[in-house]
Amino acid sequence: MANPAPIYILGGAQTDFARNWSKEGKHFVAMMREAVLGGLAATKIDPKEVETAHVGNFAAELYAKQGHVGAFFVEIDPAFSGLPTSRHEAACASGSIAIIAASAEIEAGRYDLACVTGVEQMKTVDSTTGGDYLGTAAWYEREAKGIEFPFPKLFGRLGDEYDKRYGLKDEHLAHISAVNYSNAKRNPNAQTRNWFMSEAHAQQQSKFNTVIGGRIKISDCSQVTDGSVAVFLASEKFAAAWAKRNGIQLSDIPRILGWGHHTAPLEFDAKVAESKDNAYVLPHTRAAIIDAFKRAGIAGVEQLSGIETHDCFTTSEYMAIDHFGLTQPGESWKAVEGGVIELGGKCPINPSGGLIGAGHPVGATGVRQMLDCHRQITATAGEYQVEDAKKFAMLNIGGSGTTSCVFVIGK
Amino acid sequence: MKVAILGANGTMGAGAAGVFAGAGFEVTMLARERDKAEAGMKAAQNAARAEAVADRIKLGSYDDLERAVREAGFVFESLAEDLALKRHFFEQVDRFRTPSAIIATGSSGLSIAEMSKGRSDSFRKHFLGVHLFNPPHVIVGTEVIPGAETDAAMLKSVIAMLTHRLGRKVIVTKDRPAFVGNRVGFKVLNEVAQLAAEHGVAYMDYLVGPQTGRAMAPLATVDLVGWDVHKAIVDNVHQNCEDEAHRCFALPEFMEKGIGEGRLGDKTPERGGFYRKAGKETLVLDPKTGSHAPLKRPAPIEFVEKMKSLNHVGRYREAMAVLREARGADADLCQRVVLGYVSYALNRVGEVAASAADVDSIMSNGFNWAPPTAIVDLIGARETIALLNNLKLAVPPVLEHAARDGAKMFSGGLLEYGRAFVG
Repeated sequence: MANPAPIYILGGAQTDFARNWSKEGKHFVAMMREAVLGGLAATKIDPKEVETAHVGNFAAELYAKQGHVGAFFVEIDPAFSGLPTSRHEAACASGSIAIIAASAEIEAGRYDLACVTGVEQMKTVDSTTGGDYLGTAAWYEREAKGIEFPFPKLFGRLGDEYDKRYGLKDEHLAHISAVNYSNAKRNPNAQTRNWFMSEAHAQQQSKFNTVIGGRIKISDCSQVTDGSVAVFLASEKFAAAWAKRNGIQLSDIPRILGWGHHTAPLEFDAKVAESKDNAYVLPHTRAAIIDAFKRAGIAGVEQLSGIETHDCFTTSEYMAIDHFGLTQPGESWKAVEGGVIELGGKCPINPSGGLIGAGHPVGATGVRQMLDCHRQITATAGEYQVEDAKKFAMLNIGGSGTTSCVFVIGK
Repeated sequence: MKVAILGANGTMGAGAAGVFAGAGFEVTMLARERDKAEAGMKAAQNAARAEAVADRIKLGSYDDLERAVREAGFVFESLAEDLALKRHFFEQVDRFRTPSAIIATGSSGLSIAEMSKGRSDSFRKHFLGVHLFNPPHVIVGTEVIPGAETDAAMLKSVIAMLTHRLGRKVIVTKDRPAFVGNRVGFKVLNEVAQLAAEHGVAYMDYLVGPQTGRAMAPLATVDLVGWDVHKAIVDNVHQNCEDEAHRCFALPEFMEKGIGEGRLGDKTPERGGFYRKAGKETLVLDPKTGSHAPLKRPAPIEFVEKMKSLNHVGRYREAMAVLREARGADADLCQRVVLGYVSYALNRVGEVAASAADVDSIMSNGFNWAPPTAIVDLIGARETIALLNNLKLAVPPVLEHAARDGAKMFSGGLLEYGRAFVG
């Protein structure tokens, strides 16, 4: 397995995911602008130093009736005029695909400093319309057309598949929700930081916690979020010079130690049919994790200090637990009951609050996960810091487990 | 720790109960009748969007005051803004509380010293103001007001609790009328209301609308707050403070008259306030006649439209430059309000706020307005002083220092103030 030139993560910034940019009367370029200029300020990078820009975005054509999203990077600062830019789309994994593309350019030696920006403005439409737009991340015609809130239903079926193969108790899903909300209270950029949640509420079906589809209640869902995140990725050459001028060692800068990227068949039924004899419900997601571990040269999850995972629904985090190897396949509940995934546990999952607690601006989520891994490794995560974090992994998923991207980040 | 809430049927009492219960405290909500406390609890459930927030809530009437106060580690008073009423209840709390129980008043501006007058030494040591903003489950800005005798260690522990368990953004203020947030905020709101008498409601809300650094237009804000609450705040400051903006706190005649007729804003939908809904139509008040007529959008003003379109794409500095350079009667009026805000807010440093950062914090987190120092940074400190001089407004010493040192005033960046400038 090829292990190319190292990619250094210099840092970045994100917008406050609680903001509603439609209420602020703003175009998504304003959001990108705040994230990128905020990231430049945080990393003390001059705009003139950026050589290439990659934008992750899922569906600006639908939410904002605007394509050509990569070109909006140029609008951020006069110094960006003329930069090579591109936009990447892989549903909820768009941000990770932008990271992979930027990494590939740096590995190839084309550029030394890339800005990766994720952006999604979702509060431009009502929830039913938004749910329909999200359906385009599935095979729309077959799985989403004419269905209200198709995605909760698809991820409800992921829970059903676990139930069928291994048994699944909803109380474990409720606990996953409560942990994410609780972590989000420590994150000053989390959308739900001031919201109420308790395990009792997450367990109850009630007028405030209705069923959205199958076994998925409101408390099992990630949020509809406006947000943008920028991170700066650098070659060793740029990183060494940047370290020097900031008075730190090159070895102090987190790197992408390994990555994994697999794509499964689009339809959920096809995924399940394919994996029927496999211990893992989503074997391609498992393969992406194993690839990333191998490339990072780590034996397994024991070597991670924590994980930022794609909890678009509680069932997807439940899946991530055994797929990462925290338990045997089908036994994720043991890690849930044992407190493994909580802050202070053996392998905290989503100290940021994840997609459920921190929010899920679709095309920005992968970039947000990478920024949060960077915060953990550089001990700058504030109140959601995992003590002595050495290596973190992130899993970012597009569709119903279709595109899986994994990164291991550490020094 | 158990928390007892007095006046738990009111908006702020119910809101505080939800915030404390949501953070895991056991809360007893007390009101005149148990039913009223229950209505408060339902409001807290609606705000939290969860029945389960009440899992930690008990209800009672003032017959249960003794038991609730004896058990409480923290008593939060959220009664009507009536000094005699508050004193009456504090006298009882003084009698029943355990020696370590903390007593906080949620008053939005009454004197801490006056409220604790006549109480025991222990009460006065454990007494302080905790001013939450409405609605507290959304607005996290909070003012903490120690009295002269408030115990310093207890004060510290309350601030830590508010910050870390309740997610509040806390500033400490002096015990002056309306504290910092309402003093500064209602100076602007009342000034705009005064100007509306001459220039019209829709025009003023358009001219100094959200594009000038606020989530909501000023007069719509007064309707939301309630004209009665507005009057209580500005009267209190007008009667008890002599400062450079004294005249800005005089309640306009038409509002005094409206309040007399039961026009209190959004809470009296049939009488309305500056605005009134008639079916789907929005009506607007003519302050001269006291009647409402269908809202007509004011004629677009070039510099206002420019500011909005710049904010729309995140160009806040350029938008403020447009305001700085704008000329003419409209521009003068807009600058007078916006720069008047900066001047008055930063002039409170030392008098009632400890620092410009504290003023920024409460205006941003309590009012959803642009931090005054962020406006200074966007306009430029020297340019701000020039504008203030033109407008014959006071130049605050902290601003003079910043201009002299060439230093940036706002502690955060774009990501912290951007949300205040609406497109």
